[in-house]
Amino acid sequence: MQSLVKYTDNINKLLARFGVKFGIYKNNTFHEQLFPFDAIPRVITAEEFDSLEKGLIQRVNALNMFLYDIYHEKRIIKDKVIPEEFVFSSSGYLPQCMGIAPSRNIYSHISGIDLVQAKDKTWYILEDNLRIPSGASYPLIARKLCRIASPETYANNAIVDNRNYGTMLTKVMNHVNTGGISVILTPGRFNAAFFEHAYLAEQTHSVLAMPNDLYVENNQVYYRAMDKPQRVGVIYRRISDEYLDPLTFLPESVIGVPNLMNAYRAGNVAIMNAPGNGVADDKGLYYFVPAMVKYYLGEDSITNNAPTYLMFYDKDREYALANFDKLVFKDVSEAGGYGVVFGRDMDSKQKEEFKALIKKEARRFIAQEIIDFIDLPIMDNGQEVLRKADLRAFVLSGETTKVWPSGLTRFSRNPDSFIVNSSQGGGFKDTWVLSR
Amino acid sequence: MGIISLEKSNHLYWLARYSERAFTTIKTFMDAYDRMLDADPTAYQHVCAKLSIPDKYGSKEVFVVNYLFDESDPHSVISNLKCACDNAMVMRDLISSTSLSYVQLSLDTMIAAKHRDFCLLDLQEVLDNIYAFWGCVDDQVESSACRNILKFGRYLERLDLFIRLEYDRPAIIKAYDHMKYRLSRSNIAYSELDFNLFSGTLLKGEDLNAALWNLNNIYKD
Repeated sequence: MQSLVKYTDNINKLLARFGVKFGIYKNNTFHEQLFPFDAIPRVITAEEFDSLEKGLIQRVNALNMFLYDIYHEKRIIKDKVIPEEFVFSSSGYLPQCMGIAPSRNIYSHISGIDLVQAKDKTWYILEDNLRIPSGASYPLIARKLCRIASPETYANNAIVDNRNYGTMLTKVMNHVNTGGISVILTPGRFNAAFFEHAYLAEQTHSVLAMPNDLYVENNQVYYRAMDKPQRVGVIYRRISDEYLDPLTFLPESVIGVPNLMNAYRAGNVAIMNAPGNGVADDKGLYYFVPAMVKYYLGEDSITNNAPTYLMFYDKDREYALANFDKLVFKDVSEAGGYGVVFGRDMDSKQKEEFKALIKKEARRFIAQEIIDFIDLPIMDNGQEVLRKADLRAFVLSGETTKVWPSGLTRFSRNPDSFIVNSSQGGGFKDTWVLSR
Repeated sequence: MGIISLEKSNHLYWLARYSERAFTTIKTFMDAYDRMLDADPTAYQHVCAKLSIPDKYGSKEVFVVNYLFDESDPHSVISNLKCACDNAMVMRDLISSTSLSYVQLSLDTMIAAKHRDFCLLDLQEVLDNIYAFWGCVDDQVESSACRNILKFGRYLERLDLFIRLEYDRPAIIKAYDHMKYRLSRSNIAYSELDFNLFSGTLLKGEDLNAALWNLNNIYKD
């Protein structure tokens, strides 16, 4: 591994050369920056991955069943497993999707499951991202470049090859394709994850489409090709639900495709991930995932949720208010590391204000025990130091549900921070899954 | 996959034009710089005049820095490379990451050169990367339609610059033949009238500067 680490600068130069960047808006101005790569990988043993894989497949299968149920019969509500308030008040719940059966009944084709590993080696799920989880492209291209920089590292370690992500994704797209070309729909060049959109289009041999490239006629989606329009069979969209179709969702959206939802409703195009998935990755619904697993699959959940309290429940709220400094509070409507506050970091005035807000808007917040997750080594100015890191595992659902044998390990560059998001200055690592 | 929308054809066309503009103007700069060393300290003024760039530089020293590195000047080499790179970024699925990387490397080399003492060898590296980009286009770009649009843009830009820089007639005819060949295969919408007017002027041996307007109107975006 040392031979790989000594090439860190070279690898970062190669990443720059291939335009591996992410965008960020600061003061209403778009900045594009490199995503710092640390060559010391996160290593997951074969045995550990085997267990994680089983748990993640189980979890994502249950979440897909939940989504189908919520937009159809709502059995899980009728059977009082989940309170209806948590479903219908979720900002991710879209009544416009009611009764729509997506191609092959798959809702979450690409699930990004965020995990951390506690010091006792237990893995905890922090979040399920079922809308448009990003990040797979970074370890994918990094692995390719690392293998160039230090081939001996890969000859001497039994590392599962992760360069099949494009193939896995292509298979999912083909599985749900309703007949036509495959496109990846990007909001445009100035989106934070534009590199990923373009790179995955290349890797899946799909067409990278801007919103204006697509139109709907007679409930069919077409791509405005130069010679003749091409029918579109599957759209891997990287645009949020609310902007997807101005005639169904936000009318002011200029990055949507008018009437797209009509084509989708008619079964003439597959949309990956399906609109309306936000209801299942709501931070409040996260609490109920183990119950979903039990309800739909009749199994105990293999994965562990971080101990979570719903401010909606009196008992949980009372506990959280009494143990304020021990907990981290999350606003269920926020993402990207925003809306996360640690009780212990607030002064007394802030605490009182926040407690009042919790009482007033109980549905909006969850509280979690702070998991003392393991630190991973990173190189910082030539010195090995320890930093907080999480793992985003990618689970792909097509003909079967599979876990990509890799993942995006993000780390905080700030020694005092638990926040690992790239938008807040974090870096990334490759994730090795060992084959033995 | 090689399916090209009108918007993408536009990006391909301008990617090619800006790449070629950077390439040819660097070569022109290097020639002028060489002459300014010991033969003609005003050589840069002739370049400005031919390229219709206002001579706002005032001295060869300022010209050397600003013509290459001033990102606020749309005529500068670095501005042209940034435009090339912006267009390449959105074409990754068609031109491949490898081809794109050479455009990015050209720009990165210029940015690095901006922050250290000027060295002609840096410009040679930029030229090498642009050459590599075009080689990569031939090798990596699967779609012939895509290659034809790129090369149409490249030779149209070259023709424009060769005319302005008063290259000899064989060089201009060669660029024209390349441009015409790629246009006939690119399947893009174009102005037949402007193409014919430009071709007529060229074939009659008349003043081509008067036909530059037609040349630049052949492509319809």
